[in-house]
Amino acid sequence: MFGFRLKGQRPPDPHSVKEGVVMRFDHVYEIDPERMQVFKQQDMPAWDTMRIVSNRWEHLNWMHSHFAESVVSGEELEKELEKEGKVRGKRRTKVRKRK
Amino acid sequence: MSTVAISDPIIDELRAILGPAYVLTSKTARYNRTRVPAPFPVHRWGDFLPDVVVLPETAEQVSEVVKLANRFQIPVVPRAGGTGLADGAVPLKGGIIVDIKRMDKILEIDLEDRTVTVQPGINMLKLNEVLNKYGVFYPDDPASYPCSLVGGRIGTSGFSLISGRYGHTRDLVISMQVVLPTGEIFEVGDGGGRKIRKSSTGFQLKHLFMGHQGTLGICTEATLELVPRPEAEFAAFFGYKSFDSAYRSTGALTKSGLATLSSVVLFDERKIQYLRRDDEAYIPQPGDVRAVIATSAYGSRDEVKAAGKRLLQIAKDTDGRYLGDEVSQGDWASRHDRYATPLHGRLPDKQVVPMCWHCEDASINYSVIPKVMKEWHEIADRYIGRYGIFDDWGCFFYTNAAYKPWGDYLAEIDIGIWEQRLDDETWEAWVNCKREITKVSLKYSGSITACHGSTREGDAEFVPVEMGGGFEVMKRIKRVLDPNNIMNPGKNMLDLAYEEDQST
Repeated sequence: MFGFRLKGQRPPDPHSVKEGVVMRFDHVYEIDPERMQVFKQQDMPAWDTMRIVSNRWEHLNWMHSHFAESVVSGEELEKELEKEGKVRGKRRTKVRKRK
Repeated sequence: MSTVAISDPIIDELRAILGPAYVLTSKTARYNRTRVPAPFPVHRWGDFLPDVVVLPETAEQVSEVVKLANRFQIPVVPRAGGTGLADGAVPLKGGIIVDIKRMDKILEIDLEDRTVTVQPGINMLKLNEVLNKYGVFYPDDPASYPCSLVGGRIGTSGFSLISGRYGHTRDLVISMQVVLPTGEIFEVGDGGGRKIRKSSTGFQLKHLFMGHQGTLGICTEATLELVPRPEAEFAAFFGYKSFDSAYRSTGALTKSGLATLSSVVLFDERKIQYLRRDDEAYIPQPGDVRAVIATSAYGSRDEVKAAGKRLLQIAKDTDGRYLGDEVSQGDWASRHDRYATPLHGRLPDKQVVPMCWHCEDASINYSVIPKVMKEWHEIADRYIGRYGIFDDWGCFFYTNAAYKPWGDYLAEIDIGIWEQRLDDETWEAWVNCKREITKVSLKYSGSITACHGSTREGDAEFVPVEMGGGFEVMKRIKRVLDPNNIMNPGKNMLDLAYEEDQST
């Protein structure tokens, strides 16, 4: 039954991302099969890879909501800091002019 | 079929105390409660088997088991989640495993005085699922958060990932009920009252019953601190072009004085190299990211937002680059659950093999981190080159002090070990490697363990060295409380207390 599923949803061939790492699906990294000669890599159907990836994200999202009611975004704070930085810069300029 | 060494009449007595269903003698039950995730001499698994496993439900049952063990002088080893990264729950001399997993009840939630009273077999994740409904939280957060239990956290005096804000297990347990090695049940707190957090009455006994690794009794109930459920979480990971700049930045971030700052973690270059092999967050990082700092903050939204901005500014001013929300939030969330990480080791020829995870857990001062890190890697490299079954997974340095995250750090060097290839020679080599690492921690006035306990070979023999005159006091206390040395014998070199007794 497992063989049937694999045949039905065989993952695409891997392409090299960097030394020792390959990719079959976007943002899903795998160890280069060449490095898995001692401990053999299992064949996995595409649906099983997708299931694991999606469950992983679900788990991480759950972990955030378990520990706090909301998550503060660093990227948004960086933008706010940039804006505030421009304001502070202008103020500093004004002070210099007064001197 | 049972192969226990304990005689049938004793098994019968245990069954009378606990009920027949909760006295386990099968090979499966005993083999599964032998080891923990720390490196283990798998080729000698049978040397560490308990004779019988019991699953009590009440303090009274635990007390009766311990009294029986005293009568027949049988070793007793308490076991909670079995997630420890030292050998606290590993029976060194057979005997009875007291598995506390059935003692998993919440006994009282007191929202007025902000406490929750539980049995020790409850898991923090499960506890917090209940507490979240009331807007409160028990903030003890080990890397084994989904699978470790309150009793094990007390037995090891565990380390919490968010201790910079909320404290460690020792700070979060207000009082306990303990079954002593002679079977008496007693309450211990800062002074008297079960929910009193600060007292100056009598001796401060609570700490004596934290982190004793089951050598001084078994916790059967604990009253724990409740804090407001955090409104907001902030996690930020920063990349640096050199370890030196990340090290300096760590000092600046930890001394920021931000009340919501919960942790700062410094990853060295070898750790980044290791993570680049397997980890989705690190594979795509540009090559000039050679060290990383992870920070976290919890609290009210207003406070956390302000703290987040300050952390971003400090990191930027000290040559750090924010690695983005996906890496920061994703990797931080995964830190609560490191036991789910597949442990991919590499042989010297870069082939992948499954390896067991040793994490050294010394306490080291900030000022000596670079020296300790260098010497640890040199030791690991020698053993990797000679034996070919070890792998250096890098170092990290985690803020260690409760509420004031500066000064000293949980310093880890993580080493992979190909357990399937262990034999007597390579196990001895591993223990010698461990000893060399431990000596470096002591050379720089550190402590050999921040969180796992000093129960492993390679650690235990240094307990008298680190404790100095305190080790004599430890032995006297052990002898008084446990006259027959039944509680977890062979741990922390405490058997010495009884050898001296015989010679006098």
